[in-house]
Amino acid sequence: MNTEKNLHIAGREIPIDKEGFLRELSDWTPEVASALAQSEGIELTDAHWEVLQLLQAFYREFELSPAMRPLVKYITLHLGPDKGRSIYLMQLFPPSPAKVASKIAGLPKPTNCL
Amino acid sequence: MSKNTLALCRQAPYGNALAREGLEAILAAAAMDQAPAVLFLGDGVFQLAGQKPEAIAEKNLRRNIQALPMFDVETLHVCKSSLLQRGIMPEALQVPGADIELVEDCGSFIRKFDHVLSF
Amino acid sequence: MTLHIVSKSPYSSSALTDCASSCAEGDAIVLIEDAVYGAVETYPEITERAPVYCLQSDAEARGIVIGKNVEGIDETRWVTLCTEHNPIVSWFK
Repeated sequence: MNTEKNLHIAGREIPIDKEGFLRELSDWTPEVASALAQSEGIELTDAHWEVLQLLQAFYREFELSPAMRPLVKYITLHLGPDKGRSIYLMQLFPPSPAKVASKIAGLPKPTNCL
Repeated sequence: MSKNTLALCRQAPYGNALAREGLEAILAAAAMDQAPAVLFLGDGVFQLAGQKPEAIAEKNLRRNIQALPMFDVETLHVCKSSLLQRGIMPEALQVPGADIELVEDCGSFIRKFDHVLSF
Repeated sequence: MTLHIVSKSPYSSSALTDCASSCAEGDAIVLIEDAVYGAVETYPEITERAPVYCLQSDAEARGIVIGKNVEGIDETRWVTLCTEHNPIVSWFK
């Protein structure tokens, strides 16, 4: 009946959906982010955190998870054109940056993301 | 071709699902580099007015609308007479990063498009 | 030139009045479904700027006698109007 999966972090059970997105956005902590990143095969560095923080700022500002284009635009706006490039994000969060980074940032899956 | 599409938004934000569906269609198209023009008309102009939908446990549509410039929809067209009819001052409409363009003659505006999506 | 298609009664929806005020010279309006209640003689003229058509079958079904400012049409004519105009705008709510 119950097909929900959980992340096990420091004795806590954190429910995630079948694609690995958090069920409850309030469950997010930096430790949860690291665990989510690990399940994507990503080791978080400062460069990752900078993008994750911007994604969360985007979500607070607009109440939605950005698809690739708006994410690139938002990052250009805040971190400059060197980082506001899809290839840069692709290197940090392969293979689908908007989706993978949203997941690690604890946001809902981008609705307009294929 | 799809460059020349208009999304016609005529519904108030929370009474039915159309306002949100329209916005989602616009965002989806824009994410694919096919951003339509947008015209708010009739009760649709209420989508641009201030909102506190936490009171009814809904997501804030206007916040989502503010994301449109990030999706390269940088001009929002608004029917001027719809605003005045409803006692809304055009100056009261502000979406950071977007230009609000008042349309006096919606008929001439609409016919410039090849496709019109109604919401 | 735009073809406006309206499907709601003018007494329950702003569709017809919104449409009429968004109509340019040379556009055309087609009333279908419950919008045909706006096709009767006693309903105020919808607009001077555009011809108003009404789907005959929908009017008949509702016992509507089409007024003199409105022209009753069949489905074939409606399709023809669709091919003659662009864009087509639905006023369905």
